Amino acid sequence: MENRRIYFGILFAVTAMVLFSLGGGLWGAEQTLGHWTGKMFQPVCHQNPERSFYFLGSQMAVNTRCFGIFSGIWVGWMLIPFYLRAGGGNRSVIILLLVAAVAQIIDFGGNLFSYWTNTNMSRFILGSVLGTATALYIGDLFKSSTKH
Amino acid sequence: MEEQDSTAERNYSFGEYLPSAGIVGVIFALLTFAIGIFFGYQQINAEPTGSYFSPSMLSGVIICLVSAFAGMVAVWHFTKEVSPVMKLGQGAVLGFLTGAVIIILSVLLNEIWTGLIDATYTEKIIDATIANIEAMDIPESAKNDAIDGIAQSMEAGNSIWSQIFWGIPITGLVNLLTALIGVKIFAKKPEETF
Repeated sequence: MENRRIYFGILFAVTAMVLFSLGGGLWGAEQTLGHWTGKMFQPVCHQNPERSFYFLGSQMAVNTRCFGIFSGIWVGWMLIPFYLRAGGGNRSVIILLLVAAVAQIIDFGGNLFSYWTNTNMSRFILGSVLGTATALYIGDLFKSSTKH
Repeated sequence: MEEQDSTAERNYSFGEYLPSAGIVGVIFALLTFAIGIFFGYQQINAEPTGSYFSPSMLSGVIICLVSAFAGMVAVWHFTKEVSPVMKLGQGAVLGFLTGAVIIILSVLLNEIWTGLIDATYTEKIIDATIANIEAMDIPESAKNDAIDGIAQSMEAGNSIWSQIFWGIPITGLVNLLTALIGVKIFAKKPEETF
């Protein structure tokens, strides 16, 4: 594995992002919207209360799909060393990434056009698959290029 | 010799990242600002239906999707205009910078709009969003929480500096990650040069 410092730097940042996305409850706030955790994620998420999980009595700072993506990225990032040890460069990761992206579009579109009603859990699961696949796809960049 | 120089591994100064981060950041900031304003006025002028898929919610999804890929586009621009060779860390820096440019410009554009063009925009969008939530078929307590939160997040303590300070880390990190995807797709690794 190369670029270890960058790997651990991003792991630290992604871990912080997941912790902050848990919202104000973790920091003793009664509300997340208006709290600094809510402000942090305001530019990237609509933060609809009906579409968010609650943590320690407060709404999370991101909706369920975003939380799925962020926590999926974190899980995928943790898996990168194991993925590379198994050889990396796996075509199935690209297929998984494409399938996860298409599934997001289908899920969002189906709900938008009232073909079905998705749930917080379904949005979270689909988001986490996309996040994990994204992290593993990036993971190949940490593959050591000095193999002979 | 020239070919070797153009593909050789080297470190770039802050100023060399700026054109790509700046150009792509400006384009994406203008794009997301225009989308936000367009859907904002759609929300203001629409009857409150209580639908979850309100114009402002749709704009939030579209803005998030669009701005997330700025890091990748910045890497593409860098590989076309500066050097096709890019290290992982350089892509990460470029992605984060692009996210920072988007946040700074978006905040400034919003301030210009609400300060010079439509001073009542924020008030109108809050009223329209609250009216839509009040029409939603959800429990009263959830409505009150949502309304309190929206009023707080849009009004209290949202100075320019606060928006920039809190906005840059996450948008920067998201663009950093998409920039790494860009490095994988568009950039040559230094080892690949001969």
